[in-house]
Amino acid sequence: MSWYYIEGILIQCGYVLMVVLGLSLLTGFAGLFSFGHAGFMAIGAYVSAICTTKFGLSFLPALLLGGVVAGVVGAGLGKLTLNLKGDYFCIATLGFGEAVRLILENWEYVGGARGISGIPWETNLKSVIIACAIGTLALMALVRSRHGRSIIAIREDELAAEMSGINTFRYKMIALIISAVYAGIGGGLLAHYMTYIQPKMFQMVKSTEYTIIVIFGGLGSVTGSIIGTFILTFLPEMLRSLDNWRLVIYGLAVIVIMVIRPRGLMGGVELGDIFRLPARRRAAKLAEERIKNMNGESAGEEAQR
Amino acid sequence: MKSEGMEVLKLEHVTKQFGGLTAVDDVTFNIREGEIFGLIGPNGAGKTTIFNLINGVYALSAGKILFYGKTIGEGAEERKKVLKLKPFQIADMGISRTFQNIRLFRNLSVYDNVLIACHRSANYGLFESLLRLKGTRFARQEKVLRHKADDLLDLMRLVFYRDVISNNLPYGLQRKLEIARALALEPKLLLLDEPAAGMNPEETGSLMEMIRSIRDQFHLTVLIIEHHMDLIMGVCDRIHVLNFGKSLAEGTPAQVQSSPAVIEAYLGVQDGALYAVNEGEQ
Amino acid sequence: MEMEQFLQQMINGLSLGSVYALMAVGYSLVYSIMNFSNFAHGGVIMVGAYIGYFAMTAANMPFWMAFLLCGVGAGLLAVLLELTVYTPLRNRNAPFLYYIISAMGASIFLENFVIATIGPTYRTYPQVFSHEPFRLGSLSLSRIDLMIIAVAAIGLITLVIIIDKTKIGLGIRASSFSIKASQLMGVNVNFTIFLVFLLGGILAGFAGMLFGMKYTVYPTIGNITTKSFVAAVFGGLGSLPGAIIGSVLLGIIEVLVSGYLSSNFRDLIAFLILISILIIKPTGLMGKSSEDKA
Repeated sequence: MSWYYIEGILIQCGYVLMVVLGLSLLTGFAGLFSFGHAGFMAIGAYVSAICTTKFGLSFLPALLLGGVVAGVVGAGLGKLTLNLKGDYFCIATLGFGEAVRLILENWEYVGGARGISGIPWETNLKSVIIACAIGTLALMALVRSRHGRSIIAIREDELAAEMSGINTFRYKMIALIISAVYAGIGGGLLAHYMTYIQPKMFQMVKSTEYTIIVIFGGLGSVTGSIIGTFILTFLPEMLRSLDNWRLVIYGLAVIVIMVIRPRGLMGGVELGDIFRLPARRRAAKLAEERIKNMNGESAGEEAQR
Repeated sequence: MKSEGMEVLKLEHVTKQFGGLTAVDDVTFNIREGEIFGLIGPNGAGKTTIFNLINGVYALSAGKILFYGKTIGEGAEERKKVLKLKPFQIADMGISRTFQNIRLFRNLSVYDNVLIACHRSANYGLFESLLRLKGTRFARQEKVLRHKADDLLDLMRLVFYRDVISNNLPYGLQRKLEIARALALEPKLLLLDEPAAGMNPEETGSLMEMIRSIRDQFHLTVLIIEHHMDLIMGVCDRIHVLNFGKSLAEGTPAQVQSSPAVIEAYLGVQDGALYAVNEGEQ
Repeated sequence: MEMEQFLQQMINGLSLGSVYALMAVGYSLVYSIMNFSNFAHGGVIMVGAYIGYFAMTAANMPFWMAFLLCGVGAGLLAVLLELTVYTPLRNRNAPFLYYIISAMGASIFLENFVIATIGPTYRTYPQVFSHEPFRLGSLSLSRIDLMIIAVAAIGLITLVIIIDKTKIGLGIRASSFSIKASQLMGVNVNFTIFLVFLLGGILAGFAGMLFGMKYTVYPTIGNITTKSFVAAVFGGLGSLPGAIIGSVLLGIIEVLVSGYLSSNFRDLIAFLILISILIIKPTGLMGKSSEDKA
């Protein structure tokens, strides 16, 4: 396996990771499920590609603009649909993602079904590493602030969060916008790596794949999402010799994970926590033992009566 | 006992209809500052519905709810000017609550449950939290929040369980944690929805003590819904009795217990409750 | 002439809507009881289409036998999915998302299993009905369309009767209000859920075979279930009449859009309808709304 080949997969990991990080905030922390993130990715990809090919903008501002436009669209979508209950929101994002793809397919200015080609090749290992580093640090910082905690509270119990004075609509909105920006930037990176984009690259299957990565890595864990991205991007490449059986195994693996290890690889825990917080874990274990004893006692009392 | 304090919460002819069903029918009462006020009644009397009207989960069909003289909910017959604040706005004004069927942030630790609810004691912005710089407003306020959460756990005697996932706590401690979380909002009015449900007599006794002591320490006003008559009779200054959504009686525990209407309602609906009333007298 | 063309389109729309309806009721039945969208339904439909195809080509079965076999096969597959994938989740009280993701995993698995074993080629059913259209006045109706409409009508009416008039149906209706309560009332919930998957699967198998006969059979044929899912939401998720009405309306709208505007907009319209209905009335045309209890 040549370095050139591995580099290619790493760059692929990079732009996938940008989308997955955003989705991790929305799904893993806010508890909202989206089957339309390929739509935000498409918006970022098309906007940045149009900027570089048609308006001669340089890569960085084009990339950021793609993220911003995706974020604005995310805000619009959120305004209309975030009041919906969980599964209906999820269905609305499905509709959104497909609608974006179909609009692009029917829009001649952006090349219709043929898409845009001749995009300058700007995305390299360095640019994806920088983007992912900034993305990861910002996300880690966010989830460990009062804003992040408010977002987590929504995932745990939306009504209780609202009753605790948290403006749940606003925080869901923040999570959706940030995750749309990440997906938009991920799309821009993709466009300037592939050098061509087509609407069919942004099918619903893609959105599903990203959600699966987030769940595989573990809900509520940024490091889990990162590890998940690497494993699930590299694994199919490693299994390339299996050809069609690859996706059969993949589908089966998804079911097995859901059934056997629903918390994913790292559910709710960050990689750093494992080393940092042994004292906390010991304290928790001690307390849990006492609870167990208490339960034992009261059960004994009841038996005596 | 401060019985002549200012009016904290005032319900005026509050009515709530679900479709054709009237869950709460023309209920009027007011609670004075520093009071522990009980709301009792048989199952389906509309007690929890009243809580949900107070903190804005439901919109009123008719009537008015005032909090420290400010209207926080108003229903209008002609559906024109229905005033409804969002629940988080009402919580922000200083009304916090616990839930009958416990709604903790289940997968988070005891500490995180309280820490989340402490958010009102900080006001740093989104971008400040992204930078995480030392010595900034962000760092100072985070420290304050963490201290506050620890203090509350200390007060509620939950420190030992600080790092336990809240879902793993026994029932009684979960209820305590809910109260701690509600106190983190620094409320002026605390709504407790059946705080003693599932507790043994011993735990109920210490809960009564605790309700009194947090009232005094935080200068709170408390509104309790409860089935445990010994708790309600022992701790409340005044009690309002509901039956089928309508007001039945109001007064001190002694007055309510001797009210024929109340006895009849409880006799008619459930024998066990009357027994509980008697037990409260002892 | 205008009018004739319009009627012709309506029949086409009704045929398309009937296929959607056969699939959409499967979504709605499962949603009404288990509160999640069973995206593995597409895989069941695809397998149904293949069973019918191989029954007629490899096993040389007559049409009717193949048709029944594909209903039975798809029904059993749906039940198998419920037993192996959803039952463990149910035992653990998993949130709805885990069901959706598992369903998508199952759908990826089925689709690619077929690609890996049978291959990705498009296959054409042997001819069952003559291509000679059926003439009604000046209208010419394709026989397969009439067949689709008839099967859908019979299948759906039978389903509605089962649910409205039988004891088994009472169990299904009770469980759709509250699984817990109906369990206390003595409804065998496991059996009810088993039945819901069986019924939905059988109709999905029929839909798959009919759709395959009208067009072709291919591994991703299940993707059209996205449309029937839109139809189920359009009518009101969880509502059986809603799913049927939503499907027929969607079928007609799609055919009219591609007939009078452009076929390119057909799919787009479906998803715009989905988003608009969610924004305007998320419970759909027939769904009941409820105020959340705290």
